[in-house]
Amino acid sequence: MLEKTGVPTPEQVDSIFPTEERLSQGPIAIIECFQPIPCDPCATSCPQGAIAPFMDINDLPIINNKKCNGCGICIMKCPGLAIIVLDMTYSETQALIRLPYEFSPLPQIGEIVLALDRSGAKVAEAEVIRVTKGKPPIISIAVDKALVKTLRNIRPQPSEAAILCRCSDLNTDDIREFIAQGHTTVDAIKRLSRLGMGPCQGRTCTPLIIRELATVLSKPVESFQPGTYRPVVKSIKLGELAEYTE
Amino acid sequence: MNRTADYVIIGGGISGAAIGYFLLKNGAKNVVILERNYLTAGATGRCGAGIRQQWGSEMNCLLTQFSCNFFENAEEELGYPEGIEFHQGGYMLLVSNEDELAQTKKNIALQNSLGIESQLLDVNQAKVLTPILDTGNILAAAYHSKDGHLNPFKTTQAFADAFIRMGGNIYTNTAVHGLKTENGRICGVDTSQGHIATDCVINTAGGHTNIIAALVGEEIPIYAERHNILVTEPVEPILSTMVMSLSLNFYCQQVPHGSFVMGRSCTNQPRDLRVTADSSFPENMAATVVKIMPALKNIRMLRQWAGLYDMSPDKHPIYDRFPNVEGFYVAAGFSGHGFMLGPATGQIMAEQILGLEPTLPWNRLGLSRFETGEMILESSVV
Amino acid sequence: MIYTDLLVVGAGPAGLSAAAAAGTQGLDVLVLERSHQPGGQLVKQTHMFFGSKEQYAAYRGFEIADFLLDMIKMPNVKLQLNATALAAYDDGIWTAQVGEKYIKVKPRAVVVAAGANERNILFPGNDLPGVYGAGAVQTLMNQYGVRPAKRVVMLGAGNIGLIVSYQLLQAGVEVAAVVEASPNIGGYLVHASKLRRMGVPILTSHTVKRADGNETLESVTTWAIDEKWQGIPSTEVIWSADTLCIAVGLSPLCELLWQAGCKMVFVPELGGYVPYRDGNMATSIEGIYAAGDAAGVEEASVAMVGGKLAGLSAARYLGVDIPDESILDCHKQLEALRSGPAGAKIRAGLGKLTH
Repeated sequence: MLEKTGVPTPEQVDSIFPTEERLSQGPIAIIECFQPIPCDPCATSCPQGAIAPFMDINDLPIINNKKCNGCGICIMKCPGLAIIVLDMTYSETQALIRLPYEFSPLPQIGEIVLALDRSGAKVAEAEVIRVTKGKPPIISIAVDKALVKTLRNIRPQPSEAAILCRCSDLNTDDIREFIAQGHTTVDAIKRLSRLGMGPCQGRTCTPLIIRELATVLSKPVESFQPGTYRPVVKSIKLGELAEYTE
Repeated sequence: MNRTADYVIIGGGISGAAIGYFLLKNGAKNVVILERNYLTAGATGRCGAGIRQQWGSEMNCLLTQFSCNFFENAEEELGYPEGIEFHQGGYMLLVSNEDELAQTKKNIALQNSLGIESQLLDVNQAKVLTPILDTGNILAAAYHSKDGHLNPFKTTQAFADAFIRMGGNIYTNTAVHGLKTENGRICGVDTSQGHIATDCVINTAGGHTNIIAALVGEEIPIYAERHNILVTEPVEPILSTMVMSLSLNFYCQQVPHGSFVMGRSCTNQPRDLRVTADSSFPENMAATVVKIMPALKNIRMLRQWAGLYDMSPDKHPIYDRFPNVEGFYVAAGFSGHGFMLGPATGQIMAEQILGLEPTLPWNRLGLSRFETGEMILESSVV
Repeated sequence: MIYTDLLVVGAGPAGLSAAAAAGTQGLDVLVLERSHQPGGQLVKQTHMFFGSKEQYAAYRGFEIADFLLDMIKMPNVKLQLNATALAAYDDGIWTAQVGEKYIKVKPRAVVVAAGANERNILFPGNDLPGVYGAGAVQTLMNQYGVRPAKRVVMLGAGNIGLIVSYQLLQAGVEVAAVVEASPNIGGYLVHASKLRRMGVPILTSHTVKRADGNETLESVTTWAIDEKWQGIPSTEVIWSADTLCIAVGLSPLCELLWQAGCKMVFVPELGGYVPYRDGNMATSIEGIYAAGDAAGVEEASVAMVGGKLAGLSAARYLGVDIPDESILDCHKQLEALRSGPAGAKIRAGLGKLTH
């Protein structure tokens, strides 16, 4: 199946999962490496010597469950992003999964992300506990213990942001960040963000930015002035201007 | 609001923000910046934002050299990871007649003697660097690769953020209504948010400098003149250099965002602090730039605006103390270059006010030069 | 440079009425119209108008546009189509683009009747293809004969939302629901009843929570809102729809008036920032008048009378002897159109304007 779909079967996952007993003793690496390929950084990088040295570079890694302390060095070394570290002792109900994640922007600590299975399907939501900005970055998520065999990836929640200035591609999150930085007038935000400086000249976004400022700052709408309305109302080619004669 | 301050800076443009930063950097404490609108609302936010070291006077070369070096490291020095969009694509000053060629050669010799590695390009070399140039009307071009342009809003914000981090206070939407003196010494500022007691005030209000000076009966020999700019829609990068010509009267650059920003000097501009738009600017600007760079004819103008040049008699800045009021300083008369001079302005005013050793020859930039006639001439101004 | 007595910006009901009024007095009038077709929004209005005889009640909008066009057919009134006014400068020069030509106009007086702009609101997915302004849908349908959608959710139960919903039904488009954030239907109730008789639900105190779809709009999630306009969780309804039509009101198109330096006042009842104006449509800048939606969003009937009043006032300003009765007649018509409970909001707004 893996050969056809890219998704390991549950039996394959079971075959590399540590015993319940080992899992109850603390964090441990789990290596989803099912195909012999010429690659050995996991074995050569383990400071504990927990991955048996390869006889042949095509060997599959075998973890010594007693030696592995779940340090996670191998996560960063694996070119196939095949390794995670699972800690079933994280809390009463939740386990901690540390997994490599190579997409920007990186999630923030405390952010609730979508937790995905090996086929990329959304299974649950998970809280980001730690973000290690290595190469690759490693994200630690807290998940329901019952799902540890299923979850293998994360993805940010679909944005709740609404587009506010179409010409300059600014959404409500962008604008709230400017407001949080202390820019609290239309003109001040305009100059730093190019809000309202596009072809529509603020026709669409001016009422929206004023409403957003009023909402975020809890002030009446009429206390905000629109940005300066400058010539020209509609864009015009320089060539057409250049041809003007009195 | 602070009720007392050691130093009060009037004006929240690049000059005010830079002076505030350099004062704190050099050990001053309790510094306040007052801005009647928002940061960059005046000339800074309206300028063409070009940064060049190709000048006809040694003084301007030295000042801009200092500033340019500062800008190259500003993101680290000021701690502004968002970036100030410093684009060093070079500045190309077109030469279109023999007189201009002679002057340009002199200028380049001067610049080279100061370590500014400008050079004279022939028409073909200019065309290689700026393929969209129609070289029909051009004899040669002066070029310096380290010149360029940067984002005035972000640069000022970078200074302001650093200033606040170092303990400074900025009050926007705060207008100055009065200055208080006692025995010929400044002792306070009346603002729309209340009174601040202080014995040092720095007037860097751009075109409004003399309005502030008049609050204590002072006046310096500058006037504010309206200058116009237009900006186009953003397009893919096709122009890396800033292109400028004194005789053809224009400058034009493509900013990192993709827009073209261009300006020229117009005749009969009002000197009454108006910053309304000029009705004859769009077609004159477009005709000028389309002739030199015909490819721009299909790009659309989005917007025009105007700002004030605070013109001094010799087109060099004035860094001094007002002669009749102790503790009242002025940094003004930038004649259209206040933005690129920002770091030099900050450094010089900090040195003057705090009594530090001069790193730049600012003793020649005082008010007395207009009485003694020791003015510094500058030919290279659009 | 073009010199004219009166420049009129916009050939909608207000602009055409202003041009007719001033032209009848013998003034040279230049009307600039952005579109290739005069009449403004009237040309899309396939429904019968309210009002009374003077405002062509019981005629349909596009018929009224033809009446107004007939009224400006005189040698001293020039209607320039495909002409977008670009800017107003403080030296009294106005610029425009006519086709591909840049022109400058130096008028002795100006009536700005530029109309209004559709408002938008913020919700996730508001930039998905399939999220339209109601005016755009109406243009596609009534002006260009394009069926714009298969199944629509309409946001807004003001007159525009109600009328466009009804016209969508006439065009064979399914209207899943009309959603209105206010506790009450804002438009005329006879329009609402026409929709309900066709089985279209109108949900007041509801709004759009989000719009979803892969490439284009596929569904619209609505929810109920409380008296503080906050969404109430677990009241969500997901409507399958390929089009979400936004009809949440209009903003006066005042950029030229801002540029000209006219004093502007924030009056929510009139659509936001509007020019300060006296009872005869004169703005704070001498010689500049405003009419129609650009002066405050109201009905087309008011736009026609207001336009006429602006045209007469401009003529009077230019030295033409206009009898007081003509002005007073406009005042009376406006008063009548704004009287009654339906005009209460407008009256409140106008009250704020003069302060």
